[in-house]
Parts: sequence; structure tokens; C-alpha cells
Amino acid sequence: MTEPTSTAAAPEAPPDRGTLHRPSEAVVPLGVVAAVVVAIVLVYAVGDRATDLVTQSVVTGLLLGGVYALVSVGLTLIFGVLGIVNFAQGAMLTMAMYLVYEMTSSGGLPVYVAMLLAVPIMFVFGVVVQVALLNKLTLSGSHEGPLLVTLGLSLLIINVLLMIFGGRPLRVPGSVDGSVEIFGAVASYERLIAFAGALLVAAALLLFLRRTSFGMSIRAVAANAEGASLVGVDVRRIYALTFGIGAACVAVAGGLMAPFLSLTPTVGEQFTILAFVIVVLGGLGSVTGALLGGLIIGLVQTVGALYFPGTGSLILVFAVFVLVLFFRPQGIIGASS
Amino acid sequence: MKKLPLAVVGLLGALALSACGGYEPADDEVVIGSVHPLTGALAGQGEMMHEGAQLAVDDLNAAGGIESLGGDQLVLRAGDSKGTADAGQIEAQRLVSEGAVALIGTYQSDVTANVSAVAERNRVPLVIDVAVDDVILEQGYEHTFRIQPNASSMGRDGAKALAELSAANGKPVRKVSYLHIEGAFGQSVHDAFAEEAEKEGIEMVSEVTYPATNFTDATTQVREALAADPDVLAVTGYYPDSLLIAQAIRALGGDVDAVYGVANGGFDDSAFPADAGAAGADVLSANYHYAATDERAQDIRARFEQKYGRTMETSAMLAYQAVVVIAQGLEETGSKDPEELRDAIAGLQVEDPLLEFKGPIAFDETGENENASVTVMQIRDGRIEQVFPDQFKTADIVYPVGR
Amino acid sequence: MTTLTERPDRPTTVSADDPRLRDRSAARSYTVLAVLVAVLAVLPFFLDDQTETVAIRTLIFAIMAVGWNLMSGYGGMFSFGHAAFFGIGAYTGAYLLVEHGVSPWIGMVVGAVISAAAGCLIAFLCLRYKLAGSYFALATFAFAMVFLLSVQNLDVLNRTEGFNVPILSEDSWTMMQWKAGSPLYFWIPLGILAVGLIGTIAFVHSRTGQYAQAVRDDEVAAASLGIPVMRIRLITVAASCALTSLAGSFYTQYYFFVGPEQAFGSAVSVNAIVPAVIGGIGTIWGPLVGALIVGPLSEWIADVLREPPGFLSFLEGLSGLDVAVYAALLILIVLFMPKGIYGTLRDRFRS
Repeated sequence: MTEPTSTAAAPEAPPDRGTLHRPSEAVVPLGVVAAVVVAIVLVYAVGDRATDLVTQSVVTGLLLGGVYALVSVGLTLIFGVLGIVNFAQGAMLTMAMYLVYEMTSSGGLPVYVAMLLAVPIMFVFGVVVQVALLNKLTLSGSHEGPLLVTLGLSLLIINVLLMIFGGRPLRVPGSVDGSVEIFGAVASYERLIAFAGALLVAAALLLFLRRTSFGMSIRAVAANAEGASLVGVDVRRIYALTFGIGAACVAVAGGLMAPFLSLTPTVGEQFTILAFVIVVLGGLGSVTGALLGGLIIGLVQTVGALYFPGTGSLILVFAVFVLVLFFRPQGIIGASS
Repeated sequence: MKKLPLAVVGLLGALALSACGGYEPADDEVVIGSVHPLTGALAGQGEMMHEGAQLAVDDLNAAGGIESLGGDQLVLRAGDSKGTADAGQIEAQRLVSEGAVALIGTYQSDVTANVSAVAERNRVPLVIDVAVDDVILEQGYEHTFRIQPNASSMGRDGAKALAELSAANGKPVRKVSYLHIEGAFGQSVHDAFAEEAEKEGIEMVSEVTYPATNFTDATTQVREALAADPDVLAVTGYYPDSLLIAQAIRALGGDVDAVYGVANGGFDDSAFPADAGAAGADVLSANYHYAATDERAQDIRARFEQKYGRTMETSAMLAYQAVVVIAQGLEETGSKDPEELRDAIAGLQVEDPLLEFKGPIAFDETGENENASVTVMQIRDGRIEQVFPDQFKTADIVYPVGR
Repeated sequence: MTTLTERPDRPTTVSADDPRLRDRSAARSYTVLAVLVAVLAVLPFFLDDQTETVAIRTLIFAIMAVGWNLMSGYGGMFSFGHAAFFGIGAYTGAYLLVEHGVSPWIGMVVGAVISAAAGCLIAFLCLRYKLAGSYFALATFAFAMVFLLSVQNLDVLNRTEGFNVPILSEDSWTMMQWKAGSPLYFWIPLGILAVGLIGTIAFVHSRTGQYAQAVRDDEVAAASLGIPVMRIRLITVAASCALTSLAGSFYTQYYFFVGPEQAFGSAVSVNAIVPAVIGGIGTIWGPLVGALIVGPLSEWIADVLREPPGFLSFLEGLSGLDVAVYAALLILIVLFMPKGIYGTLRDRFRS
């Protein structure tokens, strides 16, 4: 394993592209949004697809993107602050969904109430995982160690769930039925609620990070762990809390998504790799970036499916990922230096 | 230091040798190997199918075992494919080494392809209970047999059935939109359906595919399929995606004569009506199905539910049937030699199959069951009823569906 | 005492071919390897058919792990997408055999060449754009996924159906096919593994290998010493990918069937990584030790679960336990024995 190069963990800095250009921080995100809008307009205008179909794909894409953002927001914190590639993100999502299932089926609770109860449980789980399994590695600066541990953790969670619940698809009963029309496209209430939830979670996190002292400590540790500890921040505690918050976000995601997904032990896995794409695209540690990135990837997937049906649109998503890794690894919101 | 790798190797080698205690069949036993996904994501299906086979073994033993072998008892040995082709291969090899005279399995086409190769190279018959891909029996293998209809025959029969039942109910279908999962399964069923449909004078107005992974919202694809204004929307896929599709159709208020599943893994699963709720109402499904009109099958299902505490789906009934086929083969040869068993199975006529087929089970030269056929089911009042062909009816069909 | 301005009459330095300076450890390693191969070579005569299938799968894991270890352990470039190279080997062999009747031996070589080229390209791009550590790992993961998705969408590669190797009625050396249970199916991967280990030993003791480790430990310092960083890295990557590709090509011939999931699935990448980590990254014998543990492990657990001893009867038939154990083992090793089982034991014996 590579030797640690520092005593306190530095979250991996995105590769250095040099400091020749320092465009204003808002230019890139605005540019990207503008590019996406232009692309959609082009699809409408010359895309040779029925208008209402394009609208449907845009609406579905945005709603899907909201769901992706929900899963990614926790990951961007973990990756951004701790530098941990959390391969267990999808497994934690699945775990949260099974928690919600257990509470709704055995406890008879409505699903959104179950979700609220799942949040503190997952928070504690996240803290325990970080303290017991990851803190030592994070502090020693190892990059591959946490990656392997989270990989193992992901397999462990999935199979323990399999041992307990078996492999049959389970359903969490939804509380709300029906759908609404938006510009001629159909959107189900459950997915709209999930979308609203994503926005709320993002907003709450932003407020937390910007306005509370805990949030400030987290940002300090993300920027410079050694420096933060020198000014009295308990870095280990911050790490534990950050992972806990990441897990709590995933709990919200799980609760909001459970009503419209078939629950199997591997249901969360499809979101893990997409979450990484989104986190890198949006910029490590940036909540806004995760939100934006999620929406973009959701749109690429659904609008792309109009032209590349099946897994073709997924190739598009990964092509975007590879391009971002090469040409702008700090992501949309990341600073240029 | 150089002693270390040697020591480790020696230790582990010893472990490995000790672990292969192996199983030796007794003289009055005949071993059948069952390879299914007992762990992994498909464990629910795999376990259920194994239980179906076990019930068959228990029933046959209770009735006196294999008479022509002097009352020898059947033993079912479980193999866990773990849902992957290499594990399936290892398990199949193990079961053969432990004296299995025949194999059944495996639910997944790619695993079955692998196990089929093992069967061929070891000259042991494999009776496929569930695996849909045509290609498995196009390798020229002689030791593999399949009871269920394959993908293309289901596509063809599905199209024929749709033409017939729509005509019989006064609104012959003219235009069909086809929504299917991408990949060999969805594509081959679609292609066979489309070819037959064109012969029946049906126009295939739209083909929409969706991915096998990362598919959590069907709204756009369903919308695209409905945009062509079809009479009927045909759907081929597995359980989770079919559920999403049914929900999307309802949300979009699709105005079609029927939603018609072809070889669909969800629409006639007993859990589907409850999971889908209103979205599942009156959904049709052309698929192979256990014989709901047959008393023997009903009795078997009842006892299965009693013994194992869960509903017996068609896949488990196919596993039961596979054991029956092998047992009948054993009765014919009066021998435990796998090659002779293979020859017997190749020439068998299994009367009164436990599935709604158009005739007794009989295998052609590639190993396909000549008389495998599909039945059309419909979800009525939260229950799955057989509605076509008439000889297998358990309820009247509602067509066109009032939406 | 000589003065500082005068040269000593007799050199007090040691000449370059003084026997005291000869590196014996390479010779030692080769000896160990020879003994190991000799011992393992007789195994097929003692194992029954079923254990032999487990042993062969273990050998395949070992080859993949040794290959992965070259690039990730000695090269320091953590690959999370080694399935890409395994898959190239598997599919190249399959395609050439099924579509063009080309001998699998040739297919193996062609596959290795293509793999090495693909690996170099991917590594070159990643390194040129200065991706390191987790970013590099994510990039390799993404490339493996792109390969998987692309194969599923290409008609020429049979999309999701994969390839079936035609079963011949007679043994054939040119077609790499013998009757079931033939010991050749054990000796071939053993041979490939031996080649891989010879390569690893040679690499570690060669200048290239020393340079590679220097680059891994401190790229800047190595570059300042004049080491051609990019070239050394690409050589390491090429070797790593070619070896893994050989494992893939053999896989196709042994299992008679390969599909996208079997060739390019993420489980394949995990199978290359876990044995090396458990055994010891960056050591010669670590990957082999790890494979010997991981390979039979799930069979052994499955055996126990099938007929558990009395006190463990509640475990009977429990779905997923073997992977759970495997995962827990991985976590424990990374946390408490970061040098792997072999690495930790070796260090303890040394000191």
C-alpha cells in the first residue's frame, strides 16, 4: 500500500491544471447550464422527435436527476471532506430502504414518517462506520485503503440484507397516489415529492454548512485538515459527523424513493457509480454541484435515450464522465486552481 | 522466507482436500442435481424452484420411487449457481461428480448455457426448467432438453393468440406498439412476434427498448410507445421493469384496447396484482403457465403452499415437471446410466403435463418441447385468471379493456 | 593515512562482480517458484473432478491478481477496472475462434497484445491528464463500464448473448480442447501463472521494476533523477494488462461460454483486487497467497452451510453468508494487516 505522506488526511485534490486562467467562479456553472439549455432547445427544434415526447423526457429527466442528486449530495460531502471514495453509498441507500420497509410493514407507519425515523438511525450507523472502520485510514492519508474498506462494506451490507430479507422483490406501500400534468408531460406525485425532497435536503445542507459553526468546521477540515486541527477543530469528530451526515442524506433518499422502486438487496448498486459521476461532474464537496450534476446526468440519460435507446444513453453518461475527468476534474463548481 | 509460501500452499491444499468430503449415493438411490440461484439477487426464485423440485421428489418417493429400478428412491442434491455462470459450472460439475444421473436448472440463460456445456461434456442429461434463450439449444448439444417454450416460439404464439382473441371479441387488432427490455431475451421475443404479426396482417407501429440496468422510470418510453396510437401495447421484460411500465401506463392514461405481456416475467407473477394495484387491472399476459385447470396441478400447488409457506409460481411447477420427466425416463430405461437416460428422455411422451401445453411433452431433435405453448392470462379483481385459449379458461376475458 | 589530494595506490572499493554483492534474492525466488510449480503440477492426480474445478478457478484468480499487482502494487496505479483487460482477452479469443475458426492459442496472444495496447492508451490518457489515486481508480472503473456497455450494444460481438465455444468430439491441441477433467485444463493456467510470477520476479529485480517502484514512491524525485516516468509506467501497465488478458482467454476455453457480464462485469475487477489485497499488495507472493485463500473460500463455506455441524445449524442454507464472510475478511485485512497476510507474516519473520 502506498506510504502515507502526511499525518492528517488531505482529501485528494483534483489534478492540477495550472493557474494560468482564473475565470470568475460563476462562469463555468452558468456556461454548463446554458449549454444544457441550448442542447434541449436544439432537440426540440431539429431533433426530429415529437414535442410532447421531448417534454416528457425533460420532465422525467429532471425528476430522475433530483433522485440522483439526493443520493449524490451525501457522497459529495464524504468524498469532498474525507477524500473517501465511498463504494458503499448505494448499499447504504438500500439499507435505508429496507429500514423504511421494515417500519412500514411491521410497524404500519406511513412511508414518509418511517423515513424521518430512518434518518437518525442511518446517521448513527454512518458515525459508527467512520469511527470503527475508516478513521484510522483517513487520518493516515491512505487513498486506496478506504476505497477497499467501503467496497468490502458494500458487499457486506448487501449480503446481510440478503440473509435477513431474502431476494424476492419487496414493495413499500406509497402514501400518495396519482400524477399531475406539467406542460403536457406526466409526473407522479411520489416522484415530485422526491424531487422537492432533493431540493430541501440540498438547501438544508447548504444552510448548515454556511451558517452553523459545525458547518464551518467541516468546511475548514475539507480545505485543510492540518490547519483546522491547529486551530482547535477536533478533526476525528468532524470526520465521524460528516460520514454520519452523508448516511443521513442517503436515508432521506431511500425513504423518498422507496415507494416507486422494487426493493431487492442490489437495488442501490445502480446508483453508486452514477453518484460518482455526478459528484465528479459537480465538483467535490459542492452541494450545489451535486444538485446541478444530478439534474444534468438525469437529463443526459432520458433525453439521450430518445436517440440511443437502452444502455446506449448510459455510454453517453460515462463518456461525459471520462471527459470531465480529463478536462475539468474539479467539476462544474470546483475552483480552477 | 522461502518456506512460507510452501507452508501456506501445503496448508490450504490440505484444507481443500479435506473439504471435498463429497457425497456418495447409496445403492438404492438415484441422484438428480438441481442447479439454481440459491443465493444472490435471484435467490427468491431459485429457492422456490428448488422447493418445487423437492416436492416432486418427495411425491414420487412416497408413491414408491422408481419401480423399474426396484423401488429406488430419488435424491435431490442442491447446487447453488449464485446467479453467475462460473459458480453454476462448478456446482454442476460437483453434482455430476457426486453421482447425479441428470441435472435440472437454472433459471438464467447465461448460467444455463454454461451448465449445458458441462452436461454435454460429461454426457449427463440436463432438463431445463426455466431458461428462455433460443441459442442454448442451437449449439448442437444432444444432452439438453427444455420443457418451456423458447423465446421465439413465445413471440410467435403470442402474436397468433392476440390476433385470435381480439378477433373473437369483436375488435381485431390492427396496430401494435412493442415495448421491450434490450438484450437477447427482449429482442428475440419481439422479432418473432413481429414476424408472425405481419403475417396476420397486424401493423407493428413502434418498437421501443429500455435498458436492463439503471431503469427506474418508464414514463418516457411508455409515452413514446403510446404516441404511435396503437390498439394494443405489447410488453416483454422482467418483474421490476414491468411494474414500472404498468404504473407509467396508468399515469399517462394510455387509451389502448389492452396491455399485452409476451413472455413477461411480471404480469402473471402472483405478487404482481397486489404490487401494481390499480395499474395491474385487466392486464393480459401471454406466457407459459401452470395448468390452473388441472386438478393435479391445483393439488400440488396447495400442498406446496402448505409445506413451504409461499405461493407456487409457474417456475417452480416447471421444476416439478422436470423431475417428473426424468423420473419417467428412469422408469423407461430401468437403468441409472446417464446416456441411456438421455436416450429415453429424447424419446419420451409425457402425458398430462402440469403446465397448460397443447399436447404431451415430447422433445424434438434439438431438445425443444414440441408441444410447449402459451396461455393468455388476465388480471381480474386482483387475481390471475386464464382467459385464452378456451380449453384452458378459468374466467371470461375482458377485451377491449375499458380504461 | 592518505592525504586528501593523493589518490590511494590500491583501490579500497569492491569490484562490481564481487560475489558478496550478488543479489541472491532473485535466485531464491526462482527456486521457490520452481518448487511450487512442481508441487502444484502433481495436484490434478490427487483431486477429484469437482475440487479440480475449484482449483482451476483459484488459478485464474491468481493470474488476475498477479497481473493486477504489477500495475497497482508495484506501479502504484490503482486499477479498479481490470475487468476491461480480462474481458478483452476473453472476447478476443472467443470472437476469433467462433467467427473465424482461429486457434485459441493465437487468440490468446492477440488478446494480450490488444489488452496491452488498450491499457497503455487508458493509462497514458489518465496520466497525461494527471489523474492519480482515487481519480485514476474511478477513471479505470469508468472505462471498464464503457467496455461493458459497448459490447452489449455491438452486433459483431453478439450484444448480450456472448459466445459459445463449439464442443469438439475429440481432443485437440490446436483448439485447446480436451475431454472433461483433463489435467491439461489445470496445467495451462498453472503455466500462465508461472509465466506471470517469473515475470514479476524478473520485474522486481530488474532496473525497470526498481524504477517503477521509485516512481510509485515519489514521482517527483524519480523524475528529477532522470527516470523516464511515463515510459516506465506504461511498460508496467502493458505487462499487467497482458497477463490479465491471458486469464480471460483461458476462461473462455475452460467455461465454453463468455458473455458481457462474465467478461467485463465489476465482479471481475473485484476478483482481481481482493486476492492481491488479502495476500499482500506489492509483494511477489501476496497475490498467490490471497488467491489460495479466496478461491476455495466460498466453496468451503458453501460446503459447511450445506451440512452445518450441530452448533451452527442456524446457518443452514443462509443466502449470502459466503460473500459476507469474504467481505468481512477484506475489511479486517485492510484495517489490521494492510500489508496483507503474506506481507505481514514476511515482515514479522524478517525482523
